Amino acid sequence: MTETLVRPAVDSPPPTPPQRRRKSGHHDPSRVFRLHLPLLLYLLFTLVPFYWMLVFALRPTGSTALVPWPMTLEHFDTVWNGIGFGVFFTNSMIIAGGTLVAVSVLALMGGYALARFQFKGQRVFLLALLCSQFIPGAMMLIPLFVIFREAGLLNTLTGLVIADTAFQLPLALILMSGFVRNVPVELEEAAMVDGCTRLRAFFAVTLPQLRPALVAVGSFAFIGAWNNFLFALMFASKQDKFTLPVGLSYALGEFNTDFGALAAGGVVAAVPVVLVFAVVQRYLVQGLSAGAVKG
Amino acid sequence: MRRALLVAAAAALALAGCSSGPADGKVTITFWDNNGGPGRTPIYEELIKRFEAANPDIHVDYVGIPSSSVQQKYDTAIAGGGTPDVGGVTTSYLSNMVGQEALVPLDEKVDGGPLKGKLLPSLVETVRQTAPDNKLYSVPSSGNMDVIWYRTDWFAEKGVQPPRTWDEFTAAAEKLTDASANRYGYTIRGGAGSVFQLLTEAYAYSGTDSFFEGGKSTVDAPGNADLVEKVAALYKKATPEADVNNNYTQMVAQFTGGSAAMMHHNLGSYGDVTKALGDKVQALPLPVGPSGKRTVVPNPTDGFAVFRNSENQDAAWKFVEFLTSAESNSYWNEKVGQIPANTDVRSQPWIEQNKPVKMALDVLEDPATITVPAPVYLPQYSSITKADSEPQYQKVLLGQLGADEFLKAMAEKLTTAQQEWEDRK
Repeated sequence: MTETLVRPAVDSPPPTPPQRRRKSGHHDPSRVFRLHLPLLLYLLFTLVPFYWMLVFALRPTGSTALVPWPMTLEHFDTVWNGIGFGVFFTNSMIIAGGTLVAVSVLALMGGYALARFQFKGQRVFLLALLCSQFIPGAMMLIPLFVIFREAGLLNTLTGLVIADTAFQLPLALILMSGFVRNVPVELEEAAMVDGCTRLRAFFAVTLPQLRPALVAVGSFAFIGAWNNFLFALMFASKQDKFTLPVGLSYALGEFNTDFGALAAGGVVAAVPVVLVFAVVQRYLVQGLSAGAVKG
Repeated sequence: MRRALLVAAAAALALAGCSSGPADGKVTITFWDNNGGPGRTPIYEELIKRFEAANPDIHVDYVGIPSSSVQQKYDTAIAGGGTPDVGGVTTSYLSNMVGQEALVPLDEKVDGGPLKGKLLPSLVETVRQTAPDNKLYSVPSSGNMDVIWYRTDWFAEKGVQPPRTWDEFTAAAEKLTDASANRYGYTIRGGAGSVFQLLTEAYAYSGTDSFFEGGKSTVDAPGNADLVEKVAALYKKATPEADVNNNYTQMVAQFTGGSAAMMHHNLGSYGDVTKALGDKVQALPLPVGPSGKRTVVPNPTDGFAVFRNSENQDAAWKFVEFLTSAESNSYWNEKVGQIPANTDVRSQPWIEQNKPVKMALDVLEDPATITVPAPVYLPQYSSITKADSEPQYQKVLLGQLGADEFLKAMAEKLTTAQQEWEDRK
């Protein structure tokens, strides 16, 4: 026990960097004004809407208190059991999870191909991928609707996974091919010289390097599908296939709005996204800058 | 070859998807509620339960669609061929759907059944006037009417009588204002949705009985301009200054929060105002102008339509007939506080207790009342009255634009739109 406690202290280099950082903070009081105060203000600015939502979700109907006390969970009960957010939540999870898997797998294969192979029409293909980003989702509604109707995919979660995957894939492919380019091809070649097949080399050498890329691409896909309102509204015409964003707009009546229920629904919808970001944010930063500078 | 196989597979899948109905001798129809939500869905669920009990061979699939997206959903479904059997529609997008030939005219069906002569004529007329061919493409179920909501307690406190004319109205608004106590006589809707309300006020004041005369818009009639000036004169004097940006939610908040004595909206806000103010709130019809005539610009009328693509039109019609029958119509409108379209509901006891609905029914049934339907059938109507005119109205309130100029510009656009529509007919 003592040993494990002592050993890292002996083995690791003296923890100078944090000390230095703290020191410079002491020596330079203007840093507080230059950095910390603006950041704090910015943080307040970002957090106030969230706080507002929490207050509305937790205080009883009719209360105007700024602190939700006494606290109540009645709004959560209303949305989860009354409006059916339990079902919407499950549907959203299935769709976002399915999109995550499909986009990750397809982007991994496609991104690898784009980065490592030369083929006819490659530039045109890349250009097409890029251009597809300019088409708003609303333009694809009617054609997709017709295709899905013919294929019997309306009112199915599978259909929504397919639609979301199709919509997310171009950006994921572009991102992923950038990541693959960043992994030195020499590593794979060395593995193949050592007797690996290309597939084995990919799984043994390249894939582990691409872990941050998969996290970045996957979380974008998850959040994109999680937040997609349009497709879910248009392709699902049964209450039991609705998703959270549709459920939220369903809580908004034409003349009457239950703000408590709406806020509680907002919290339910926001929590997974916040969690995903909290877990993967460091990968996301890597992911966004990957490919920005040619390695 | 492969493509042919794919198409065949897709067709087989599609067929498999549709054929769930007749196998057990039961017909399934789909019903889209155009204003789904926790408030109204349970009412429909109860009605569907009753309908299925009375018609064991028909099963109804209920789909509640958020009212803010219903138009887009219908448009996609019509273009993609995935319409329901029965849908709730309001006259604000009915003409668009009729234009796409999505609906079945229901005149003969109404006349051939128990609904004959049982529907409030002013609502039927509103629905008819929406369609280019004057046919009935939706059976009206609920009416709505613009009213002035007022605080009975404040009126009593200051000894003010509920106003019957616009002059009494402005006098009351001024008398009820006590800016030091943050109490104002009235709250103007200056933001989103303002011009719809302003026009109903203007026509109520001027007594003009039609939106067009000889193909020209009457929006800029002199009486209408007088009313706009009167309202603008109240701004800041008898209303909160923030009113210039009021949308529906903010306006209701002003009123229910206790800073305004009167508010112009329609029966749709019944739930909100009574929840906040209980029995201290009542409704008045819009005041009349110097002409003494009572003109009403009808609100969008809610109703049920049968879709042309429906494979079970008979079952669909049966359901529409059930929803608009005296019993269902009474149940529905009592719950939401709107005007029942079925005249047999008139004798129900709840009508006597719901004073705003009774007042509105009295106005609509009064033979002296003239209904002046707004030209919601014009494709540009919404953009002219909202995007084009709302910012201009704010300028009028702020004293930067004359009422005359404001109305003239709107009238010109409406006249052009009307001519284009006539040419296409």
